[in-house]
Amino acid sequence: MNVLASLWRLLDERFELAPVVEFITHKEVPQHRHSWAYYLGGLTLFFFGIQVATGILLLLYYRPTAEAAFESVQFIVTRVPFGWLIRSIHSWSANLMILSAFAHMFSVYLLGAYAKPREATWWTGVALLGLALGFGFSGYLLPWNELSFFATRIGTDIVSKVPVIGAWLLKFLRGGEEVTGATLTRFFGFHVAVLPMITGALIGLHLAFIQRQGMHVPENLGKEAQQRKPLRFLPNFVMREGVVWLAGLAILAAVAAFFPWELGSKADLFASAPAGIKPEWYFLFMFETLKLLPAHVLGIEGELVGLAGFSLAGLVWFLVPVLDRGSVRGQRARFFLFLGWAALAYIVSFTVLSFAGAFK
Amino acid sequence: MRPSFHLVLALVAAAVTAAAGPPPPAAVGVPGKRADDTCVACHRALDDPRLHAPAAAADTDVHFSQGISCAGCHGGDPRAQDAEKAMDPARGFVGRISATAIPELCGSCHANAAFMLRWAPNIPTDQLAQYRTSKHGQALAKGDTNVAVCTSCHRAHGVLPPTDARAPVYPTRIVDTCARCHADTTLMARYGIKGIEVAEYKRSVHFAALTKKNDLSAPTCKSCHGAHGATPPGISSVSNVCGTCHLAQRERFDLSPHKAAFATLSQPACESCHSNHAIVHPLDSWIGVGDGQVCGQCHSAGDAGAKAAIAVAHDLGTTTGAFTAAQTRVTRVSRAGMLMDDAQVKLEEAHQALVLAQVEIHTADVVRVQSQTKQIMAAATAAEKLAAAAEKELRYRRTGLFVSLVVIALAMIALIFKIRAMER
Repeated sequence: MNVLASLWRLLDERFELAPVVEFITHKEVPQHRHSWAYYLGGLTLFFFGIQVATGILLLLYYRPTAEAAFESVQFIVTRVPFGWLIRSIHSWSANLMILSAFAHMFSVYLLGAYAKPREATWWTGVALLGLALGFGFSGYLLPWNELSFFATRIGTDIVSKVPVIGAWLLKFLRGGEEVTGATLTRFFGFHVAVLPMITGALIGLHLAFIQRQGMHVPENLGKEAQQRKPLRFLPNFVMREGVVWLAGLAILAAVAAFFPWELGSKADLFASAPAGIKPEWYFLFMFETLKLLPAHVLGIEGELVGLAGFSLAGLVWFLVPVLDRGSVRGQRARFFLFLGWAALAYIVSFTVLSFAGAFK
Repeated sequence: MRPSFHLVLALVAAAVTAAAGPPPPAAVGVPGKRADDTCVACHRALDDPRLHAPAAAADTDVHFSQGISCAGCHGGDPRAQDAEKAMDPARGFVGRISATAIPELCGSCHANAAFMLRWAPNIPTDQLAQYRTSKHGQALAKGDTNVAVCTSCHRAHGVLPPTDARAPVYPTRIVDTCARCHADTTLMARYGIKGIEVAEYKRSVHFAALTKKNDLSAPTCKSCHGAHGATPPGISSVSNVCGTCHLAQRERFDLSPHKAAFATLSQPACESCHSNHAIVHPLDSWIGVGDGQVCGQCHSAGDAGAKAAIAVAHDLGTTTGAFTAAQTRVTRVSRAGMLMDDAQVKLEEAHQALVLAQVEIHTADVVRVQSQTKQIMAAATAAEKLAAAAEKELRYRRTGLFVSLVVIALAMIALIFKIRAMER
């Protein structure tokens, strides 16, 4: 104890940590019927932590070249002790992270937590989801297997539809005209350096905003939150969050061990695309929508119209704290609430229908 | 410069009366250019389908598209605007061409290497010579007009190159083209042919390869009987015919004591066990002298051949069983999520040895078959071992998962109790 006390004194003397500890020990989390939603962000952070840890372990053996990538992943899952588990956890945790990030975002949106003064928290959160999708897209190619190769070819091809800069963007992403080893090296760079750096900074900001502003209480639950005794952040909330994390870990361990992530067959640049190429599940709603669009809408290329639609929808979603003017007074516009439910219904239904094979 | 009328007349007459020379210059245009032809223009406007159809077929006809007009075969003057003049017998017009004249008429170009060089330098020019040696050609020479001539298979009008998938002689269509006559039991009875050969062929592995796997190299009627020189292969040449594709089996058969024995008995080689048209997928269970087993056709229980057959059948049965069991086990472990590349290599080795063992059966030599079955057994056993190791690893992983889930659950329960105790 003396050692710990001495260490604390030593640090506090230099960094003046007492106010920080004071803040954390006095921080409270309001309680109401929807306070379960407060755990979703933490769960996403937990999965991100697992991604970082398992990603570093994979880096010890992974080789980012077209010649060696597939073989190195094959080596990891067959020869490296517990390599199969690390790779499977990395792949599953990525999916669970995006799932919990979506759940977190929709709960924040539907409970109106984006309203002033939390606009910046919302914006950093939406940007973080975008980065998570970027992680998913870039990481999908890294095993350099047949499915990932063709899915990346289709995915990057969509970028070329962007007016004016489409061709340049395509070349930038692919490192040339086609998906080749240059694309793999580039995606690897994005996946392990660029995206983590930006994500790390944004997570820091996102968490700082939350700590500074405290938890949001939905406008219609203010009375209930006042009547119920708030939870102390430390240790009560943190321990509850711990239970949620352990549940997440249990699910992750179960799926990673029982459904090991498949490796498939090595990408062949000269082979024709196999039937049924699909992107990761979180891109399915966009993929199927683009496929449903006619070749031309009002004389404009269908895919371009779809892309413009998604970009506009994304912009509205991002700017909702500004567009929903009543939210600052606790009077959210019914239109935006409806928009949130409609977006959720659209994404869930298109994803489920795609898995059910309804769009074949 | 236009050739003189008399020259044209002389050349058309020469072609129609089966002279060896090519068609008249007036009827032959520039290679690769469509023929400019008044016959087609007039006949297209006619209502009678017999007269209209040949002109309508000109659009797809390989000859017409290469500049060879109707007059190339029918004579007449394809440039005359007046029908009387165009179809004037004095200008060589012959109208309907008799079946007996057709092979020689087609051959007037197709047997002329110098002439064919202008259109298709690589096309063979021995079809007429082959046809004369065929059963069809021999019967035609005797005046039998029921037999196939060039147009029976290639059509008279709308002739397509054999490489065109719509052509009646394209690999996937040629069987039905032959069947137009050869499935007619009444017609075939005249020639002592059963007329069931095509129906039998359609049950064969060859037809399945052609139609289900779309393997255009799979044998059709012409692969064994010849196309233009169509004739049944003689008993002594059956193994040569089959051996053109099944080289390894033929080579092994030639090493076997069966070669001499079959020759003495005047028995066809491959056909004796595999049949001729209805060649179905051979099974290891055919080997033996029991009911329905092929060796029993000549051997009887107790003789040296029967003993060898039983030994081979037993060996193959045992090793095939081991191979199938290993395959099932490796598939099951693969489905459980284990990478089984090493075991797949072993299974492939076993499969290759099995194929070789089935080839070695044709030697009728037990030792040679066993040299392969030993390899099947070794590879299948290695695959089994790898599958067993993977199963062990799977059990280890599941136990590990169960233990970690228990630990996680205990930690969760402990936390929940702690929270409750704290908040009480």
